[in-house]
Amino acid sequence: MSIFEYNGSALVAMVGKNCFAIASDRRLGVQLQTIATDFQRISKIHDRVFLGLSGLATDAQTLYQRLVFRHKLYQLREERDMKPETFANLVSAILYEKRFGPYFCQPVIAGLGDEDKPFICTMDSIGAKELAKDFVVAGTASESLYGACESMFKEDMEPEELFETVSQALLSSVDRDCLSGWGGHVYVVTPTEVKERILKGRMD
Amino acid sequence: NCGSALTKMSRRYDSRTTIFSPEGRLYQVEYAMEAIGNAGSAIGILSKDGVVLVGEKKVTSKLLQTSTSTEKMYKIDDHVACAVAGIMSDANILINTARVQAQRYTYAYQEPMPVEQLVQSLCDTKQGYTQFGGLRPFGVSFLFAGWDKNYGFQLYMSDPSGNYSGWKAAAIGANNQAAQSMLKQDYKDEITREEAVQLALKVLSKTMDSTSLTSEKLELAEVFLTPSGNVKYQVCSSDSLSKLLLKFGVTQPAAETS
Repeated sequence: MSIFEYNGSALVAMVGKNCFAIASDRRLGVQLQTIATDFQRISKIHDRVFLGLSGLATDAQTLYQRLVFRHKLYQLREERDMKPETFANLVSAILYEKRFGPYFCQPVIAGLGDEDKPFICTMDSIGAKELAKDFVVAGTASESLYGACESMFKEDMEPEELFETVSQALLSSVDRDCLSGWGGHVYVVTPTEVKERILKGRMD
Repeated sequence: NCGSALTKMSRRYDSRTTIFSPEGRLYQVEYAMEAIGNAGSAIGILSKDGVVLVGEKKVTSKLLQTSTSTEKMYKIDDHVACAVAGIMSDANILINTARVQAQRYTYAYQEPMPVEQLVQSLCDTKQGYTQFGGLRPFGVSFLFAGWDKNYGFQLYMSDPSGNYSGWKAAAIGANNQAAQSMLKQDYKDEITREEAVQLALKVLSKTMDSTSLTSEKLELAEVFLTPSGNVKYQVCSSDSLSKLLLKFGVTQPAAETS
């Protein structure tokens, strides 16, 4: 089994009309044993930038803590929050620093940039960014997620419809992956509010 | 005569920070404190529901580009802030050092750095410049205001020697002795945050050199707990500050010229 599959994970982020959604599964496993069914894979960096980390859970935790360190100092010095594009560059740089001994994580970054324009991106474990206009996926269920998103995605969805689409894509994909699932965690972010919802899925 | 001979001899011990004078003094550290005695004053007062910091702005030209940045008050971490008196460029270095130290602690222990530990850590840095390296000490004094779950609200004062102590009320910068004695008279334990603001503004207005007191010459910041229980550091806006000055009767309007 690959090190990226050790804990199991599923992450997806999607762009809507002046909003975005970022969703993850809730399983934390140790190979085939399920350890937790309420694992948080998505973290808020600030009100308008969210980070999801798939892959090895210990590296995801450490990477997140390092990013909080850097972001807090940025906020104090610049007296403002980081833009999502800037944050993505920071994540990429930190991952590349460990080029020959990397963090076994695949991040998904989603945020609202200038003029409330939604921004999503993903990158590989050594920081190669992949910007997309529609959706990005990561984790053990990524292949199913690609298929589900490609068929279900529409441009300019309103927050409610976006939520439904992301949820259906996530649940149907994790059902085809034994290492991810046990429910879902969806954040739908508009310029005015952040809606966090838990999905009930197949608990296996 | 003997005295003047001694002072002439002691000049030889000025140039290096790392040695004592015959009288057992560190002249460079004392000279650093002299520099601060000419800088804009700052006052800190500890109350039971928060810590208040007030500073006198020395740079008040109309040509100055105003922004949201403050001149005297700086946030170190979500739960700690400081007021500065002395050489601003020295202060910037130390503030950055304190910020990094606070984040390093949080990274290691996943919780906010206790206020005294942060102050101690920064003071250890300052002390280093009085003992090794052949570098001069920092010409800055700080008033640290913060909250942690062990000791609640705290106020600390630190100086160029790297010495620090906890205070209920303290003053640094110009006329700090006058301010300190005024605080000693009027401070009472169990003072509320609003009373502390009033006392700080009153004391500062009395000890400031300037003839008129407006909100442009002052900065006011508070560290307190929100109703949801989180620590908040808030700088008072210029408008709110003007209103407060009027409310407490400490505004002295500039003399009208006909």
